Amino acid sequence: MTGFVARRLATALLQLVGLALVVFFAIRLLPADPVARLVGQNASREAYLASQHALGLDRPVLTQFGAYLGALPGASGLLQGDFGTSWVTGEPVAKEIGRALPVTLELITISFVLAFILSVPLGMLCALKPGGAADNATFGYSLFAGSQPEFWWGLLFIYFFFAIMGWAPAPLGRLDPLSTAPPAVTGLITIDSLLAGNMAAFSDGLHHLMLPVLTKVFVLSGPIVKMVRQNMVRVLGSDYVLFARASGLPPGRIARMALKNALAPALTLLGVLYGYILGGAVLIETVFSLPGIGSYAVRSVLAFDYPAIQAVVLVIAAVSLFVYLALDIVHALLDPRLAS
Amino acid sequence: MRKVLTGLATAAMMSVSMQTMAQTLAVGKQLLYLAEDVPAGLDYDGPSVSVNTSQTGFINMMDTLIDYPLSGASQDGIRTLDFSRFEGRLAESWSYDAASLTWTFKLRQGVKSCAGNTFTADDVIYTLARGKSVSGAAPINWFLASLGSIKGFDRSVFTGGSRELGDAVEKVDDYTIRIRQSSENNLFLTVLTVYSMAPFDSVEMKKHATAQDPWSHTYANTVNAAGFGPYCLERWVKDDEFVLRANPDYYRGKPDIDRVVIKRVPQSANRVLAMRAGQAQLTQRLAAREFQNLATARGVKVAGIFGNETLVLGLNWRTPPFDNPKLRQAIAYAMPYEQLARIGYAGAGRQWEAHFPTSIAGFIKPEQQYPRDLVRARVLLAEAGFPEGKGLEQYADAFHLAFTAERESYLGPIATAIKAALGDIGIQLQIDPMPQTQFADRRMVKKDLPMALSDTEKPVGPDVVYATRLYFVSPQAGGVNNITNYSNPELDRLFTAAQTEPDPAKRLPLVAQIQNLVQSQLAWVPLLETRTQWAFSERLSGLTWHPDNSLRLFELKLAQ
Repeated sequence: MTGFVARRLATALLQLVGLALVVFFAIRLLPADPVARLVGQNASREAYLASQHALGLDRPVLTQFGAYLGALPGASGLLQGDFGTSWVTGEPVAKEIGRALPVTLELITISFVLAFILSVPLGMLCALKPGGAADNATFGYSLFAGSQPEFWWGLLFIYFFFAIMGWAPAPLGRLDPLSTAPPAVTGLITIDSLLAGNMAAFSDGLHHLMLPVLTKVFVLSGPIVKMVRQNMVRVLGSDYVLFARASGLPPGRIARMALKNALAPALTLLGVLYGYILGGAVLIETVFSLPGIGSYAVRSVLAFDYPAIQAVVLVIAAVSLFVYLALDIVHALLDPRLAS
Repeated sequence: MRKVLTGLATAAMMSVSMQTMAQTLAVGKQLLYLAEDVPAGLDYDGPSVSVNTSQTGFINMMDTLIDYPLSGASQDGIRTLDFSRFEGRLAESWSYDAASLTWTFKLRQGVKSCAGNTFTADDVIYTLARGKSVSGAAPINWFLASLGSIKGFDRSVFTGGSRELGDAVEKVDDYTIRIRQSSENNLFLTVLTVYSMAPFDSVEMKKHATAQDPWSHTYANTVNAAGFGPYCLERWVKDDEFVLRANPDYYRGKPDIDRVVIKRVPQSANRVLAMRAGQAQLTQRLAAREFQNLATARGVKVAGIFGNETLVLGLNWRTPPFDNPKLRQAIAYAMPYEQLARIGYAGAGRQWEAHFPTSIAGFIKPEQQYPRDLVRARVLLAEAGFPEGKGLEQYADAFHLAFTAERESYLGPIATAIKAALGDIGIQLQIDPMPQTQFADRRMVKKDLPMALSDTEKPVGPDVVYATRLYFVSPQAGGVNNITNYSNPELDRLFTAAQTEPDPAKRLPLVAQIQNLVQSQLAWVPLLETRTQWAFSERLSGLTWHPDNSLRLFELKLAQ
């Protein structure tokens, strides 16, 4: 198992290095000038040149690359674990990402766990009686939930649960804007409020997560239910389940055996979905005014904030690779043949 | 058991209510202001200065030496300023000695910053010395000082000249300073009203200086803007929220609103919903139709003013055939102004009949006008040498109408209407939306866009001469952001004369000539003046329009 994990880590590292190279040069090929955006449209030519020099953009591209890596004498860069400073805010990019990433991770991790907890039993239920009422209803729901993009569902839920019913809070971020946030330790409001013993912030945080999580779970559950259902149907029809039934094993034990084999493909789907949702988090963050990594990525791209773009791509890729790695380990535990 | 549970629940609810009441009493009046973003930085010489939401931050935390007095109100009740007069803020009085080109300012005494430091002449000197060091990412203080001809603030600082303040500013005593100009320039007081000339609290700023950053740009940009304004920073989470607390020692009196929470809500539809639900008291930058929608909501008011927001069609003078005056006029006569105002701004716009906003000092309505007149447009097109558009095929590359793709929602329909209108007289057009950064680069740096729709020309110095230098003066004569490459020696001469003429009576005709000249030549094609609007709780009052389009929170009053 150790060798398996080491091999996967080495591959992930190579992928990150390749990505860093591609992103650095690709953004510099785009036909736009970040300096013009930064100094404003009424700035003079001299101000523009001064700004260009301050950002180091008057140097040759290879020198800029050396500075980015931290390979130049006295420079601090990727090799020293330094993502640089944002050109828009002047803050260290690592600090900004450290603030934005937990917001998104909290949202999508809770959503994934809930979606998984709901979808697995639902998928099993459908698989027990293919073509039955539960199966047909689930099929209809999957089709319905997947027929519209998630931001559309988000807006609809806001309209219904906030504007009409008044059950949900206004979509104004992670907490009531007039409340006081708990001190940031992990960046996850739920955890930080518990650490601070601030139960009002904890319940307010959960309340504000209600609609974004509902939106995510609503959209995510469809494909997971379908995947679990199809795998369970296939597994329940296999020879070893037939043999187990013939041997008189209780249905609960048979279901546990079948589930173990049916879960592996669903986990793969989960990994793919996690990376996909992380990269596209901006839609749900925009709808619910959440200052997450998706919004940060889009803001950085629109402002041509090179250090932030470079870092955010690497961080999102690293999180996705970490999730893939974790799922590979779970896979290997479920099916020891994979580890060899 | 049930009774016990009910009792416990009631006690818990009462406790929470009492806590909330106690919190409200402790905090005082609070305002929730929903914005599309919160300040990205607080250094007005920093990279975020061009971002309007950043300006909202430092504008309310700092104060300028002088400003404009109130003059009246728009029909909707938005208060307006009198741009022909100045009134003291951190400066109490001032005088000018024409012989030595020297301004003497008497500074206000007893002014305290949020850090508790007292305002003195040293703060003004520090601020101008910092500006002349051009050490920030966007040296706007230097730029404004150069527009006002403060001695030594010229282009030489970028070519090896001195970056020291020298004798440009002299401290007479703690509350008196003298500022010297390099030449007579009437824009001097105008530039002093702009936010990037506001004095820093030098004592506080110096505490955060480092060897690498002697002027504390990092501190100002990422931690706090140390100034002498009405509000102090309480909390700032970038990309999320910005919380200000009233400065109890503010020299004009403690602000009416004790705490202001500026919350980032990028989705304008959500801002509308929150306003409708009464959960926020102020928002702006909604789509015109959303303002219309909110105007019918209970407890919400929508008000606006024709300030300095406009829409122009830039035709590049260096790109044939746009150097043909008759063609430019034909295009102006063909524009469907009313339709553009309707489809792009839901009626919150009107034909712009000049090259300058009607609100600014020195404005006159020019004699030459371009109402929609297709017959006249066709005649002018023929006189230009292109009857019914024939012959323009060879310039197909020039007829690409660019605009920023991020503003597609309203500029897209406007571009389509222009394409259709020009098609009516025989001019074929391609629509060319592009990313904002690419648009800004080609418009400001390369200046090679043949045709461009732009709504970002908003002079923060509300004066015709200031706007002339910004948009129409040639680079050789000191022009700054001449986006259409307009160049006219006569205009340059009139500008210099107007800028240096000390007698207001002699200056007015020069200013009028400038306006008539650019209008007759169509330096650009003015399309619309658009309303700057706000949606706010009916309990809120005191909204005042300033040329930077940022509200002064100090001026707001919130009824309980």
